[in-house]
Amino acid sequence: MNFAEKLKSGKFIITCEVGPPKGVNINSRLAQAELLKGKVDAFNVTDMQSSVMKLGSLSVCHLLTMRGLEPIFQLTCRDRNRLALQSDLLSAYVLGIRNVLLLTGDHPILGDHPQAKPVFDLDSVSLLKVASTLMEGKDMNGNELDGKPDFCLGAVVNPGADPLELQLVKMEKKIEVGARFFQTQAVFDLEEFDKFMKKASKFGVPVMGGIIILKSAGMARYMNENIAGVSVSEKYINMMAEAKKEERAKVGIQIAAELIKGMKDICRGIHIMSLGWERYVPELLEVSGLA
Amino acid sequence: MKTSLTDYTKFRLQPDCEIKEIFKQVNRIFILSCNKCYQRFIDESEEEYTQLIEILGVDYKKIVGHVPVDFLCNDFLSEKKILGMDLSSCDSVGVISCGLGIQFIAQLLDGKPVYALADSVPQSRNSTSGVGYHGISLEEEKCAGCDQCYLNFTSGICPITECAKSLLNGPCGGARNGKCEVDPRLDCAWIKIYERSKERREKFTLEAVQIRDYSKPSFKLKNDLSLLNQTRRYEGFYGGLHPLDKKGETEDKRIEYFPEPEVAVIFLSQHTGKMARPLVKVGDEVKVGQKIGEADGSISSPIHSSISGKVVSVEERIHPASQRKALALIIENNGKSEPAPSIEHCQDFEDLSREALLEIIREKGVVGLGGAMFPTSVKLAPPKKVDTLIINGCECEPYLNCDNRIMVEHPEEVFVGIAIAQKILGVGKVYIGVEDNKAEAITTLNNYPDKSSSVEIVSLKTKYPQGAEKVLIKRILAREVPDGGLPLDVGVVVLNIATIFAIYEAVIAGLPLIQRVVTVSGDNCSRPGNYWVKIGTPFKNIVEHCFNGSDEEFSRRYELKMGGPIMGIVQADLESAIIKGSTGLIVMKKSPVRASEERECIKCGRCVEVCPMQLYPLYYGFYGMKGELGKAVNYRVESCIECGCCENICSAKISLLSFIKKEKQYACSANKV
Amino acid sequence: MLAVQIKSEEEILPRISSNRLFIFQCPGCQEVYFPRGDAEAIISKLRLSEEIVGEALLDYLCNRDFVQEYIKDYSQQIDKAQVILVFSCGVGTQVVSSLLDDRVVYTCCDTLYLNGFQGVTTLKFNCDQCGECYLNYTGGICPLTNCPKALLNGPCGGAREGKCEVNPDADCAWVLIYDRLKRIGKLDLLKKVMLPRDYSKIITESLSREKIER
Repeated sequence: MNFAEKLKSGKFIITCEVGPPKGVNINSRLAQAELLKGKVDAFNVTDMQSSVMKLGSLSVCHLLTMRGLEPIFQLTCRDRNRLALQSDLLSAYVLGIRNVLLLTGDHPILGDHPQAKPVFDLDSVSLLKVASTLMEGKDMNGNELDGKPDFCLGAVVNPGADPLELQLVKMEKKIEVGARFFQTQAVFDLEEFDKFMKKASKFGVPVMGGIIILKSAGMARYMNENIAGVSVSEKYINMMAEAKKEERAKVGIQIAAELIKGMKDICRGIHIMSLGWERYVPELLEVSGLA
Repeated sequence: MKTSLTDYTKFRLQPDCEIKEIFKQVNRIFILSCNKCYQRFIDESEEEYTQLIEILGVDYKKIVGHVPVDFLCNDFLSEKKILGMDLSSCDSVGVISCGLGIQFIAQLLDGKPVYALADSVPQSRNSTSGVGYHGISLEEEKCAGCDQCYLNFTSGICPITECAKSLLNGPCGGARNGKCEVDPRLDCAWIKIYERSKERREKFTLEAVQIRDYSKPSFKLKNDLSLLNQTRRYEGFYGGLHPLDKKGETEDKRIEYFPEPEVAVIFLSQHTGKMARPLVKVGDEVKVGQKIGEADGSISSPIHSSISGKVVSVEERIHPASQRKALALIIENNGKSEPAPSIEHCQDFEDLSREALLEIIREKGVVGLGGAMFPTSVKLAPPKKVDTLIINGCECEPYLNCDNRIMVEHPEEVFVGIAIAQKILGVGKVYIGVEDNKAEAITTLNNYPDKSSSVEIVSLKTKYPQGAEKVLIKRILAREVPDGGLPLDVGVVVLNIATIFAIYEAVIAGLPLIQRVVTVSGDNCSRPGNYWVKIGTPFKNIVEHCFNGSDEEFSRRYELKMGGPIMGIVQADLESAIIKGSTGLIVMKKSPVRASEERECIKCGRCVEVCPMQLYPLYYGFYGMKGELGKAVNYRVESCIECGCCENICSAKISLLSFIKKEKQYACSANKV
Repeated sequence: MLAVQIKSEEEILPRISSNRLFIFQCPGCQEVYFPRGDAEAIISKLRLSEEIVGEALLDYLCNRDFVQEYIKDYSQQIDKAQVILVFSCGVGTQVVSSLLDDRVVYTCCDTLYLNGFQGVTTLKFNCDQCGECYLNYTGGICPLTNCPKALLNGPCGGAREGKCEVNPDADCAWVLIYDRLKRIGKLDLLKKVMLPRDYSKIITESLSREKIER
C-alpha cells in the first residue's frame, strides 16, 4: 500500500522528515532515511525551510523514490511564480512523486538570504487549487494538458493558532480546494491539540500531529521564541534542563513518546520532524508503541 | 494614526563613501536641492546640504553654486527656474532630492553629467508588493494600486500592503501572538482582518479563492489616464482646477423677472472707488431710474433707484461685498413703477461722439458686472493706447449662468454693446472668450448674422479660473500682464458680458444700471434659475422664494454665498441686498470641515500645482500661521488674483485666502506709511 | 498619485442589494482623474433600486481627522444605513473603514497608480523608493521603473527597434540609458556589474523610521 492508500485505509500514519543539505552531499541523509524503511510510511522533504538556501526538494524526493522510499514533496510559494509552481508539480509527477505538501512558505527575511525578492505569487490555498486543476488535465488558465498528473495533496494547519476559528476556516478552504491530508507544526500541548482536533475532525480529513524530539532546553526556548505555532511548556523545558548531557536524547524521546501516546487516539498519525536526529526515530517509535 | 511630519522623509543623502566617490570625478559641481515635501516647515530648510558640506571636507570647494528649490518634481515651474540659471561654468550638477527630481533634472540637462546625491527612502514596508503609496494625508494606510481592490473581501484592510507576503486567502502559519513573522512590531494582517470581520458581525468565510492578476493595471490604461490628466492640467494655462460645474440646473433656464422688492436696500457703494454721495433724504419720493447718489471723484459711480417709492431711511447695513457696515438708502416701493424722465431711447449710437458715449455710460452708473464693479467709463478711457478688446464670457465659477443666458438670449444687444465699446476704444480687434461648457452660447454668437468681422469668438477649454483677466489675456493673446499691473499695460481692455449688456441698455434704452441677471442655485434650491433682479432686492426675499427648508435649518446647516462657490462671499446677514456685482446667490450645505487658520500645512505641494499665477501659496499659510506678516511679499503675494484655487485644493484645508487677504492689507498699509 | 476605476456592476450590486445604503464620495483627487460618468451611472441605478439613506460628497477621505468630522456630521444617516459605500481610492476606503470598523463598508473602486506621488499633474517619471538609487550608473534613467523586468545589467533580448517587448509603446529603458550615457561621455559605466537588489531594505528601512504606536 502506498501513502495515499494508507490514508484511505484508516491506518495510523507515521511520516518523517528529510532536510536537504546546504550543498550537494546528500548520501548520508539518504542513508539515514533508509534506516527507517518499513517503519515510516512516507518522508517529507522540506523546501528550504526557514528560507535558508538548500538543495532542492524535488531532486531529493526523486532520489528517495529511486531507493524505494516514498517521498512527500514540500513546495512553497516563496520563490516561484505560478508558472514555475505548475511546472515543478508536473516535473515532480514525471519523476515518480505522488504526494505533495503545499505551503505558503517563510518570508526570505528570516533566512540567510534576506535580500532576496519574495515572490508569493500564489499562496497555499490558491496553489492547492492550481494543483487540483492540473490533476483535472488543465493548467490554471484553462489550457489543456498533454497528460495529467495525479497527486495526493496535503496542507499544513496550526492547532495552537489564535484565533482558532481563523485557522479552521482556512483549513476548510484548503479541503474545499483539494487537500486530502494535513500535517501540523510540532505539538507540545495535548490539551490544546485535543481542543483543536474536536473541531477539525468534523471535516473528515486525516490530520497528522507534528512531533519534535527536543535536544535541549535551549532548543525548546529558541523554538518558543522563533518558531510560529510551537510552545513548549515549562514542565518540558525543566525536564530537559535538569537532564545530564548524555541523558538529553533519552529525555527528549520520553517527552515525545508521552505526547505521541496522548495524540494517537485523537488523530490519524504523526509527523516526526527529526531535525538531524533521524537515528533516534526507531527508538522513539518503540517507546511510543508504534513500532 | 498619523505619521508625524518629523518622522517622514522621502529621501536622505547617499552613503558618505558614495558621495566622496562622486566628488572625485567632478571639479565644478552645481548643487540643486529640493526643499522636501511632507516635511515640517523649516525656514530655509537646508538640512541635507549642510550634511553634505560636512561629509565633503575640503572637497566642498568644488561646489560652485547651490540653489534650493521647492517641489523639484513640479516640472513646469522647476524647468523655468533652472533654465533661467547660468550653469555654463559647472561641469556637472548634483541633485539632492527623491528619485523624481533627479530623473527630471537629468533629462532637462541632457548632456551634462547629473549626479544623484540622495537616495529615495523606502516607504511601503512591503517587499512582496514592492510599492505602497500613502494618500495625500500622512495616515498609515497605504495603497498598492493593484487595480483589483480586495478591500471588500477583507473588511477594509488591504491584504497586499498590510500582509508581508501580500496573501489573499488567509494567514500563513508564521504569525506568533498575533504578530507578523517578519517583524514582531507588525500585526498579522489576516488576524486584523478576522477581528474586524467579527466586529462587523460579518461571517468570516474567506470567499472564493483569490489570485492576483499582475497584468493589471494595463500599460494602456495607465498611459491613457496619464495623457488625459496631462491634457487637462496643461490646457490653456498653467495651474487651475476643474471643479464640478453644477451648471446643469440653470443653464437652460430662460431669464425670468424676479418680483420687485417691497423694500429696496440700495447701497451707496456698489463700485470700486469712493462711495456715492446721497442726493435724497428721508421722505423724498423717487422714481425708477432716478439718480439717488452722485459719483464722488473720478473713480466712483452714481447710484440709481431701481423702484419707485419713498425713501424711508438712510442707514448702515452689512455690505455684501465687504461684510462691514455701509451706508444704504432704504426705499419703500409704491408699486407704481414710475420711470424717471431721464430714461430716453437713443436712435443711433453712431451719431454720438466718443465723449458723449462715455458720459452716458458714466452717468448711467455702469460698472464691471463680473464682480469687480470697476467704473466702466473709466476703463473705457485708458491713459495708454490699447489695441484689443476682450469680452469675458467665460463665467468659470460653478453654478453661475447669468452671462451664459445673456449670450444665448440677447446676442443682438451683446453685439451692439460691443460695437459701442469698440467705437469708444477705437480698437481694431475684439475677442469674445467663452468656455466650451457653453456650447449653446458659442453657437448663438457664431451664428449671429450681423456681427462685425473684427469680432472673433474664441472657444476655450473649460478650466477655472479662465475668466480671471490676467489668465484670459494670456490665454487669448499670449500677453502677460506685469506683476502689479493692469491689462491696459499690455494694450488690452477686458469687459464682462453682462457689462456689455448694461452698456447697450444705458446707451440705447437710456436705462441706468438698476437691475442685473443673478443665478440662484445650490443645494436644496426649489426654484433654481436666472433672474432679472432689481438692485437693492434683499437676500431674504430670494431665499424665501427659492429655497426649501426652515429658517432654523438654513442657518444651522447651510450658508449663502454671493457670487460663485469658490470666490463668493458668505452672507451672514439676509437683510443685506443685491448690488451691481451680485453675479449669483448660491446656497450651499456647510462642509463639516471648514478651511481654518489653525491647521498645519503638510507641504503636499498641490497648491503650487494649481496656482494660475505660478506662486507658492503654502508660504502664505506658513507665515500667516506664525503671524509673520510682511514675509509673504518675498513670494510675490501682490501677484495673487485671489482665485481660490489653492484653498480649494488644500489637503489640510487651510484658509489660504484669508491669510493672503491679510498679507495684502498689511502690504497696502505698509506702503502708505 | 492614485486614480480610480469604478468596479463592474456584477462585482458591486450583489454585495449591496436590498441593503440601506449610505454613500461617501471623494472628489479629493478628482483633479487627477475620476470616472465621474461611470460613478454616476452606478449611483443612479442604486437610487432607483435601493434605499439610499444619505449621500456625502466630501474630499480627502484619506485624512482621518476630516473623516471623523464627516462621520459626526452625517451620524444620523450613517446609523440608519446597513452598508456604507465608498467611492474613493484604497487609502480613503481603508481610513473610512477603520473609523467605522463595526459597520459594513464596501468600496466601488479599483485603484491604480499614475506617476507623481501626491501631486495632481502626472509626471513622466516614477520612483520605486528602493533605497539604493541606481541613477548614478544609468545617467539618471531609472532601470526599475522604466524596465518592466527591472533589469540592472543591460537589456534583455526582447527589444525591437528600440521598443520594449512588454510595452510596445515604450522605449527600451536600456536603449535610453545607453544613449544618455553616450551623450554624457560615461559609457564605461555600462561595464560595471550591478549586483542584485537588496529587497530587505524595503522592510528594514521603512520599519526603522516608523514609530508604530500600539
